[in-house]
This record gives sequence, C-alpha cells and structure tokens, in this order.
Amino acid sequence: MDSTFIIIGGGIAGVSCAEGLAFLAPEEKVVLITASSLIKAVTNIVPISQNLTQFDVEERNIVTLTEMHPSVSVVHDLVVRVDNENKLVETKSGQVIRYKKLCLCTGASPKLITENSPHVIGIRDTESVEKFSSRIKNAKRIVVVGNGGIATEIVHEIRGVEIIWVIKDKHISATFVDPGAAEFFQNKLTQRNDKSECDRVVKRMKYTVSEGQVTKGGAALGPDWHSSCNVKGTSVASSKVQVEYECEIIGVSSEQQDNEEWPIYAELTNGKIIGCDFIVSATGVVPNSTLNGLEELNKGGDGGILVDSKLQTSEKDLFAAGDVCTVNWNLAEHWFQMRLWTQALQMGRYAAKSMACDLRGEDFFQDFCFELFTHVTKFFGFKVVLLGLYNGQKLNGSYEILLRMTKNVEYIKLILKDGKLKGAVLIGETDLEEMCENLILNQLDLTIYGEDLLNPDIDVEDYFD
Amino acid sequence: MVVRQYQEELKYLEKINDYCWRIKKGFQPNMNVEGIFYVNNTLERLMLEELRNSCRPGMVGGFLPGVKQIANVAALPGIVGRSVGLPDVHSGYGFAIGNMAAFDMNDPKSIVSPGGVGFDINCGVRLLRTNLFEKDVQPIKEQLAQSMFDHIPVGVGSKGIIPMNARDLEEALEMGMDWSLREGYIWAEDKEHCEEYGRMLNADPSKVSMRAKKRGLPQLGTLGAGNHYAEIQVVEEIYDKWAASKMGIEDKGQVCVMIHSGSRGFGHQVATDALVQMEKAMKRDNIETNDRQLACAHIHSTEGQDYLKSMAAAANFAWVNRSSMTFLSRQAFAKQFHMSPDDLDMHVIYDVSHNIAKVEEHIVDGKQKTLLVHRKGSTRAFPPHHPLIPVDYQLTGQPVLIGGTMGTCSYVLTGTEEGMKETFGSTCHGAGRALSRAKARRNLDYKDVLAKLEQSGISIRVASPNLVMEEAPESYKNVTDVVNTCHAAGISRKCIKLRPIAVIKG
Repeated sequence: MDSTFIIIGGGIAGVSCAEGLAFLAPEEKVVLITASSLIKAVTNIVPISQNLTQFDVEERNIVTLTEMHPSVSVVHDLVVRVDNENKLVETKSGQVIRYKKLCLCTGASPKLITENSPHVIGIRDTESVEKFSSRIKNAKRIVVVGNGGIATEIVHEIRGVEIIWVIKDKHISATFVDPGAAEFFQNKLTQRNDKSECDRVVKRMKYTVSEGQVTKGGAALGPDWHSSCNVKGTSVASSKVQVEYECEIIGVSSEQQDNEEWPIYAELTNGKIIGCDFIVSATGVVPNSTLNGLEELNKGGDGGILVDSKLQTSEKDLFAAGDVCTVNWNLAEHWFQMRLWTQALQMGRYAAKSMACDLRGEDFFQDFCFELFTHVTKFFGFKVVLLGLYNGQKLNGSYEILLRMTKNVEYIKLILKDGKLKGAVLIGETDLEEMCENLILNQLDLTIYGEDLLNPDIDVEDYFD
Repeated sequence: MVVRQYQEELKYLEKINDYCWRIKKGFQPNMNVEGIFYVNNTLERLMLEELRNSCRPGMVGGFLPGVKQIANVAALPGIVGRSVGLPDVHSGYGFAIGNMAAFDMNDPKSIVSPGGVGFDINCGVRLLRTNLFEKDVQPIKEQLAQSMFDHIPVGVGSKGIIPMNARDLEEALEMGMDWSLREGYIWAEDKEHCEEYGRMLNADPSKVSMRAKKRGLPQLGTLGAGNHYAEIQVVEEIYDKWAASKMGIEDKGQVCVMIHSGSRGFGHQVATDALVQMEKAMKRDNIETNDRQLACAHIHSTEGQDYLKSMAAAANFAWVNRSSMTFLSRQAFAKQFHMSPDDLDMHVIYDVSHNIAKVEEHIVDGKQKTLLVHRKGSTRAFPPHHPLIPVDYQLTGQPVLIGGTMGTCSYVLTGTEEGMKETFGSTCHGAGRALSRAKARRNLDYKDVLAKLEQSGISIRVASPNLVMEEAPESYKNVTDVVNTCHAAGISRKCIKLRPIAVIKG
C-alpha cells in the first residue's frame, strides 16, 4: 500500500494530525495506524480566549474517522518496524505501507511503581480504566500514588472507599497548582461526604468502555475519563481521604503485615506500612519512543524523541507529536512542554501543518500556541485555567505573586516579574482569562496598578481592550 | 496627577444642562481644550462617585477615573474642539473607553495615540436582518446557536473561510472585506453597509510585525480568535418606524443576528508594538503627556504613519473576521430553515467600528478641517446627507449599533446633525463585549492560603477592596441609561431596541 502520510497512534495527537492533514491536503492519502480498535476524537471545542481552548475527548470507532475525512484510512494493526531510509512501515500482520512523511504519535505509558503486582494498576489508557472500575467495586481501601491530574481526579471522584493519597510534595496537586491553591481545594477534600455531589459539574467527556473491545496499548485518556465509569466502592462508612505528604512508596508486598488482611501492602518512606485492596500508580509517564528501525533517532533525557520547531525529528520526513516527543527548540519565554491533552491537540494539528507545508515546499510560521503555555482543566468541580509560567517556572524564584481569593468561589494568582505579568492560575469563574493572556503576551508594564489590578471593586476585564 | 480635595475638583466641573457636563481647563495640567461628558442622573452619580473615591487619601496612582482621563486627553498636542466622554465612559489604558478626540492633520504638532484606539483594533458590531419572526426561531434556537460556529466548514472555496497561511493573511490585511468577497464568503452589497466599505485603503501589511501576524493566524479548524460572539435577537420595540423600515425592520418580533468581534490578538500586538516605538519617539520629539500610558507620536512622523498603516491592516483583519462570522451565520440559518440566505433576506443592516482612528472632514469654529478622529469605545454616527454614508441611509442618518453586555438588550440608533456639531459625529458604543456584571461583595480571606504560600519564600501581595470606600465605584453602566442619554442629548436618535434570545460564543 502507498500513502502520502502515515501517522502511528490513534490518540489525541495522532487523530488531530490526521484531521489536520485531511483539512490542509484533502487530495493526499493519509493512513493512521492504531493498535486499538478505538480512537480518540476531540469534540466540543470551546475557545475561552484566543489561545485557551477547552474541549472534550471522545472514544470513537475507527471507522468514524474515515467517514468524516475520506482521505484518511485507519489501519488497526501494530507497527513492528519503521524503515525511514526506504520510507516504509511494516505491521504485525505483514502489511507494508509506503509513505512520504511519517508522524509518530505513539504517546506515553504510565510509570508503574512496580511491574510485577496484579494489585498495582496504572491509569492512563482505556484498558486501565476498565480494570480500575471493575476493581473499585469491591474495594474498601486504596492507595493512590502521584500528585498530578489523574491522581487528583481519582481522589475527588471516588466515593465509598477509604483513600490513602501518597504524594511526594508538601501539598496536593503540585503538578498543576501551588500550595495556596491546594489549600483552596483542601476544603473540598474534607467535605467529600457533603451533598456536593449534585453540584459537581462534570460534563465534558462522554466515554464508554465496551467489554472486550479494548486492546493493549490503547491511547491515553481524555479529560473527565471517570464520568461514566463507576467510581464507587463498597465501604459505606469510610469515604475519607488521608494524605501522606512528602512520601514515596519504597516497596510493596503481599505478606500480611498486621491483623487486618489486605491483598497488598505498601511501605512508605515515612516508615508506615499501609494495607489496601490495590494501589493506583499515577506518577507520570514514559514516552513510547522505542520502535524497531528508529533506534538512531535523537532522544531527550526523558526518553522522548527530540523534535525541532517544525516537530521534525533528527531524521528528515520523520515527525513526532504529542507525549512521545520532547521539544528541542528555542522555547518562547512563556511556554514549556508538559504532557497534557492540550499540547497533544496543539502538536497534532501543528504537525499536520508542518508536514503538509514540507511536502509542498511552502513556508509557514510556527503556530502561536507555542508562545504561551495554556491549559484548562477541572479540579474538585472548579474550572482551573493555567497560563504562561503559572507556577513561576523558569523564573528561579525571582518573581512576585499577586493574589485574590474568595473561599469556595475563586482563586486568582498572578505571577509578576519586573512589573510584567508572566503567568496566572485562575480557578473558578473569573472572566480574566483573555485579559491575562493578553497581558502576558503584550508584556505591558503593570507597576502603576499595584494590587489594584485585582481589586474586586474594579472591572478590569476590558480595561486593556 | 494633581491631588485635590473632591470639593476643589468639583469647581472645575460645570453642569451645562441635564445631560452634559463641561470639564474646564486646569482640571488637569496643560489642557489645550476643554473636556465634555454626557450623563443622565444615574450615570452622573456613578461618574462623580468614581472621582470622589479617587480623591480619598492614599488613592494615588493605579486606575484613573474616567473624567481625569478625558482631561488628560484634552492636554494632548494638536487636539481640537473638545475631548468628549460618551455616557458609557469608563477607565481604560491611556484613553478612557468611551472617549473620542480629534487632532488637526494640518498642525505638525498633532499626534496619533494607540491608547486612543485601544488594543482590540476595530472591535465592532454588525447586524444582520432576517425575514423570520420569533415564533419561527424559538423552537430551534439551540440547534441554530450550536451549529453556528462549530467548525470551519472544510472544502468551502479553495481556501479556509479565514486566512490560514502567511500569504492569505497578507492579502486579507491589505484587502479587508474585498478579500472575503473575492474568496466568495460575502455578498457585494455587504460592503456598502460597512464603514469604509470594509477596507481601509492605507493598510500596509509590511508595517506589521511578524509576531502580530503569527498571533493573528488561527489554529487549524478554529475561527481563530476566541471571544467573538454572536446573538440571535428579536425586535423588542421600534421607536422610529420610518428609519427602521429603511433598514428592513418592519415589525416587533422580527429576528436579527448581531455579531461582535474585532482583531483580538492581532490588534493587541499591533498596538503593543506601536507603544514601544512611540515611547522612544516621544523622547526624540520632546512630546510630553500627563500620563505615560498616553504614548503617542506626531501623525506625520515615521512612527505615527507606521502605526496608522498597521492599525488599518488590523481594522481590515477585523472586518474579515466579522465577514467570516456573517458567512457562518448565513450558512447556519440556511441549513436550519432549508432556504437560501438570500430568501431569508439576511442582509447586513450595518457594521460599526468601536476602536479606530480615521481621517475625516469636520467643521471646527466655522472652518472645515481635516482631522484624525480617535474613537475608543465610541461609534461614528454621521447625520443624514453625509457623503460617507450609503445611499440607503442618506435620509435616515447612519445606523449606529449599540451592543448590550452579552445577554442584555441592544439598540439601533441613527446619527444626527447635533452629534456632527457637538461630538464630531460620535456616540456611545454600548457595553461592548465586556461581560461586566454587578459583583457581589466578596468575602476575601487569605489567612490559610498565605501561610501555605509563604513557605515558598516568594513575595506575595494580596488584592483587597479599598476598605475606605463606602460605596464601590460600579463601573457597570446600564445600556438603556447610556442610549437614553445619547438620545436626550441629541447626539443620536433611538430607532430600534433588540432583545437577545440566544448567545453563541465563537
């Protein structure tokens, strides 16, 4: 089979790349090779500001992609070898597909604290969610390890189970928020048994796991992956969360450690040994960058495939996008890489543009989304918007914080350096997204306003229009 | 800023009539002309309250009250007539939003200031009519709203509906709505009902920075510029039946579509680039202003000309945006009603610009002069028989579209002779796109949070309401008060009131 473009991977980056190519070069053939029978599709895109986009992720049958984009065909198969010299890809079933440009969108896998226990599960893809939701039904106590988005969501969503949350930081959700915001959320953590269930707004992801459809190596989850899997355990009485701060798990064992009998015991660095039904390992990811034939590609320290500002790898005609790649260009002041849905989508689309232009020999600008870090998500029922250097990244501690908070309503944190806005965390309905985005990009001197910039009595939303 | 007691400040303000106040010279230093602002009783209270609060001890710096900003503009070199504050005036960067000021093109000292245009260059409003009535649209308004800006339709024309690559963008910046027309997205008659026919001829994309162009290009598959929005509206009231019928509005309940959009990030970058350039030029040319934010350059200097040329490109960009949204709106209606946009009579009633500077002819002290008119948060409102308004509106005066805040009523007004004389043919702009709303008193409490954050060793400042204020200066101004004031003051006439039934965010 011959094709102009091949994309390996049916996750957000891969599918966005395929859609992008179908849009930009509808006359060129695109083949997307995926190991799973389901692909990810981004829907309900809501632009919150010019660069900030909220979206849902849906699992779809692979045929839907071809139905919507006739130039795209999807091959449900496993890639066993890539030969970039001869521009061909071999699959497990023996197919050989030729290409002119190839994009690797193979994603990343969860780092498991141990590979060898059936009682340790990672949550990253469709398969692991299925496993998780079947296990949680009979569970009384679980241990959650990790402090990122998925760990935070599990802790927020799961009811009827005692949770021990093991984090290596001093505060919860450290990947995304600062200690102050964690404190803002802390209320929600302690009030988990309240009626808050009804005002929880989780409406983005419609996500179903049909039995037996899932293959190993499926794509990463989308936001709100938990909204349709049953996340209730059996324990009626205990729904509490106990956080073990500044700790890691040093070992697991299945030998009974106390008079209670648990399937597995976790030993923490603080000396505690905790028995539980199972351990959820949500401690980050490792790029899936090992493919036969691509051993020579330059890789970064985190194992990701290095890409330049056009998302091209160290080999010509070979591109990479999403979690599998590690950016290796002169980064804009207010952007950095984080393996998030947002960036998978942005990179997927941009890779399409880059590949299409490369094919035609056209010049193009790097997409502006790489000028400003943006991410929107939902924690504990609140909209969370992260802009620029939202935690003072890259600033080496030399910055100032301007803060406004109303308990249970909003938390606004601006990062300022030399009177200029560098980043922002906006939690709740603040209506300040676009203003902050523009102030970061414009780098206007805000010294004169001082704390008044966030004075709640002043409507500042259109002041800078 | 001069710091005086509130009672002292009031001596510089004089109420001329029920709707109009004069700001005398001396209110701010170096005023070349007087200021004027239009208010009714409610707005007057808000305006003076804002001033009073700024006079309290410890209130120096930060956000200047609108009335002070109007006076600072009156001190700019080359200003003629008066610095005008419209009823919806509120503080903005440099110029207040709702401030217009005109500068004599033939005075070599005259300046152009990006702060007098605003960052969202050619932010504006467009109104489309239909021959549908509320009962036709109510049952399907949700589907209609949903389908409007969902996705850019693939395969329409040879290119995307919006400029997608560098070359398209260059052309669009130069051609404005002529680009949309060439690509087949609008009707030729749409141009007739736009200020400047939807194209500023002095646009020069080569004066626009690379960063601005990058910032203007959309992401694939998006409309490009977030925070556009449109409303499906119905006619709630007709004040001037004859003028309304000239606009194709016959009866209450008739359905219209109002489109709000501007140049967004592109305009922001153009303005930002110009501010940086002009700060340097001000030193060179010894231009002094009362407020650092009023960065400006002589109109005929390189910096001044470069800004005007790139501002014009941003204005063209905004018209392309509104045209794209027009196209999508027409498509959505056509699909829902299985009729062509033509058969639905979906004509553009008019398209106005809120943030722009233009060269116009006006009579100043009995003499005709060529002026550079800055309108920021202000709408051009030319009277009947003015040569620059379309044939269809020669007898009614130019339609003026006043958008409410998202979800509140909007108005159509017409321009008047009085406005031409008093405000250089300018009136209010409505609440713009700001989603202002009365904000409840907040219960700010930082104790626990600060304790956690301080461990990081980063210096932290907290925002708090100024406790000395008994009453918050509510910047939100009701659109009905604003429109009624303009009508009563005679600077524009009420024609139609519209009520939204669905809001679509782009």
